[in-house]
Amino acid sequence: MHQNVDLVIDGSKISGRRGETVLDAALRYGICIPHLCHMPTLTDIGACRLCIVDHIKNGRSKVTTSCTLLVQEGMVIDANSERVRGLRRNIAELLVTQAPNSRAIQDIALRCGVTEPRYEFRSDDCVLCGRCVRACKEHYQAHAIGFVGRGQERHVEYPFREKPESCIMCRACVTLCPMSITPCDGPMKSGEGYFCGKCASLTQAPQYEAGDCTRCDLGEGFDCSGHL
Amino acid sequence: MPKIASFAELKAFGEQITADRDNEAILMTVCGGPGCQATRCHEVAAELRKELDSTSLNGKARLRVTGCHGFCEQGPIVVIDPSNIFYGQVKPADVKEIVDRTVRKGEVVERLLYVDPSTGKTVLTESEIPFYKAQTPTLLSQNRRVDPWSMEDYLAIGGYAALARVLAEIDPEKVISRIEASGLRGRGGGGFPTAAKWAACRAAHGEEKYVICNADEGDPGAFMDRGVLEGNPHSVLEGMIIGAWAIGANEGYIYVRNEYPMAVEHAKQAINQAREYGFLGEDILGSGMSFDIQVARGGGAFVCGESTALMASLEGKVGEPRPKDVHTVEHGLWNRPTTLNNVETWANVPAIINNGAAWFAGMGTDNSKGTKILALTGEVKNTGLVEVAFGTPIRTVVEEIGGGGRNGRAVKAVQTGGPSGGCLPESMFDLPVDFDVLWEKGSMIGSGGLVVMDENTCMVDIAKYFLKFLQDESCGKCVPCRIGVDRLLEIVTDITEGRGRPEQIELLKELGETVAQTALCGLGKTAPNPVLSTLRYFAEEYEAHINENRCPAGVCTELVEYSIDARTCNGCGACLKACPYAAIQGRKDKLHTIDLELCTKCGICLTTCNDNAVVVQ
Ligand SMILES: Cc1cc2nc3c(=O)[nH]c(=O)nc-3n(C[C@H](O)[C@H](O)[C@H](O)COP(=O)(O)O)c2cc1C
Ligand code: SF4
Ligand code: SF4
Ligand code: FES
Repeated sequence: MHQNVDLVIDGSKISGRRGETVLDAALRYGICIPHLCHMPTLTDIGACRLCIVDHIKNGRSKVTTSCTLLVQEGMVIDANSERVRGLRRNIAELLVTQAPNSRAIQDIALRCGVTEPRYEFRSDDCVLCGRCVRACKEHYQAHAIGFVGRGQERHVEYPFREKPESCIMCRACVTLCPMSITPCDGPMKSGEGYFCGKCASLTQAPQYEAGDCTRCDLGEGFDCSGHL
Repeated sequence: MPKIASFAELKAFGEQITADRDNEAILMTVCGGPGCQATRCHEVAAELRKELDSTSLNGKARLRVTGCHGFCEQGPIVVIDPSNIFYGQVKPADVKEIVDRTVRKGEVVERLLYVDPSTGKTVLTESEIPFYKAQTPTLLSQNRRVDPWSMEDYLAIGGYAALARVLAEIDPEKVISRIEASGLRGRGGGGFPTAAKWAACRAAHGEEKYVICNADEGDPGAFMDRGVLEGNPHSVLEGMIIGAWAIGANEGYIYVRNEYPMAVEHAKQAINQAREYGFLGEDILGSGMSFDIQVARGGGAFVCGESTALMASLEGKVGEPRPKDVHTVEHGLWNRPTTLNNVETWANVPAIINNGAAWFAGMGTDNSKGTKILALTGEVKNTGLVEVAFGTPIRTVVEEIGGGGRNGRAVKAVQTGGPSGGCLPESMFDLPVDFDVLWEKGSMIGSGGLVVMDENTCMVDIAKYFLKFLQDESCGKCVPCRIGVDRLLEIVTDITEGRGRPEQIELLKELGETVAQTALCGLGKTAPNPVLSTLRYFAEEYEAHINENRCPAGVCTELVEYSIDARTCNGCGACLKACPYAAIQGRKDKLHTIDLELCTKCGICLTTCNDNAVVVQ
């Protein structure tokens, strides 16, 4: 079996490594597909759905997450079709109105083209991306935190609500959390249902262009710039 | 019981059973399905048994308690054969008369006969009842012919003959090509071609392969899978064994919804019997094939019916879906090739082998073959389980089988496909029951739920109800479903409570599309259907709520007011006594009025007033 496969992402012919995901291959080539729950070296769970792409096959295109899609020979991927950008913007809008205090998520939202969110702001302090849970489990084999509950009740917690012995207070979970990466003092003061505008990223980021990397804070947090 | 070791032995055994039974004169069949249990059919059955035991009838008449016949509306049901007399809504006190007159003397107990509400005529036999007449019973009709506890009953109707034939003379590949020729598609919701799944699983690499029967059935109001598994468990086992042969699997699981203890019990005892007779275990019917089945109880959540969540749950993990970019036919249960099919899908398999692929493909439409069991519920006269050939118009199901709207009210819509299905208006009732047609129109067959709605139903409220169900059942893993469905619900709730804004209609559509296209699993992908389909066909109801602050059906409490019509009120005072909030005033024989400050819109006065003087607007 060949180690490499040829595929096309956004019109560029690239060489993927068998077994890697479309997202990893794209990032390696500097094609930035927005993503949140994905982190290099952690198992992908496809939770945030930001990394969706159009997978074009036999003339039909299917929306799927690039972090869970393995590269295949001859694959054609459009990561920035109009449809995908629209859908991605709508997902980012859901995320940023759910957790508007996260600078990282504001960055993503802006980059995905969210300008005027159409939902009332809420103030969740977790978007359930699972980066902390997986880092704790996969990097440190500590299993000190996990997801508990279903649906609206789902949240991250210690097993049996008590800090287990296995937690060595490494703080990896906090470092990787999109909520804690450069927290802003937030728009969520009572009566303020809009972005406060204090975030430099919000006022200074350029208009989003396909493939344009804004060097967002989230990226720094998980070392995505290393790819570029 | 002796093990049956070959096709020939099975045939001889089956013939022997039928021969032994021919001389039995009278058979009384009591439906013991879930609907009839609710109306206490077991008391009727116990009474019948007592009568039989205590009189000289022992040996001349036999009692059989079976699985669901479908006509739950009429339960408890007693059918007397060979004359096929049908008695509905039988009470324990009626039993003596049935035995004395019908069983002993061959007379008919007129008052227990079914009265056709559309003609007002009494109907003597089961086969003449309109509810049954418009159906195409192939699976469900077996239910009334077998006692689910009796292997002999199943063998007497030709049970396990398909398995014996397959093992003796049909190669696995040929089994798959027969299923392919039949056009069988999965009955669990997706309508995936069964043969393609089997072929992919057969081709997948791996020593160990599994077959699983999905009996999780979490849709509210649905009980077709329960009906089949409880009523005729051997048909499901036989289908699974044939499937295992075709795929090359040695182990099987039946994943049963936790709330179905009786289905669990019936499946377990059927498995034990099948082992005793040699249909499960080592060297089945002398073919060299080894295969066994276990029953597992469901994780208790709706989403556990989704294929990847179900397999995670079987492995003892949290029942949560995972991305399906890698298919379960290759990497399923414990990462091994796995074929998952629905109860009804499996139960169709023996019939296809017995009667031939052409017989099966002869029923239905171009791309939907065979029959489908539907759970008919809602505002329709006859509710219950019905089985129709694909291609049957929805109108036939609602009007002929269902008998039309309850209490003479006009039927407005049907909701098909379970909680994440869609609503279709009455003007589209000529559409056939068909996987692809319904999907194109924004609804689906799903697992077969069909809820009839009349003019007293508010379609916005319906969308809200199903969204709430789906929001509760979402596993919460992915953003579009967890947050997106929550936002859809938030907006729809706004609309039903008078806070809707015109631009929210477009937002609902756009968000609905986004969730449908981007959610991780089937639950999220279909969750916007209730709101998208009602927006498509009942936009005027949304507009009335938003623009005029009015709920046309008078359901959304925030938008209605209660009053008493001065012309109809006769001053009886019934409402005044009934109102728990003392919101009604009026003196005896004088007009009564409602104090809107105190009224909580609970609706009690509405149901109390005999003269329909209470008005909701
Ligand atoms: C949320 C969700 C719930 C489901 N529940 C059931 C169920 O209760 N029973 C079932 O047979 N299939 C259910 N399915 C469909 C299964 O994932 C799967 O497609 C089916 O069991 C395959 O069998 P079939 O090909 O015979 O239809 C569900 C799917 C989803 C997305
Ligand atoms: S705590 Fe932070 S890292 Fe963990 S799941 Fe929530 S948002 Fe993600
Ligand atoms: S679509 Fe809903 S149920 Fe399915 S994985 Fe996402 S959150 Fe869970
Ligand atoms: S990065 Fe792919 S789903 Fe989150």
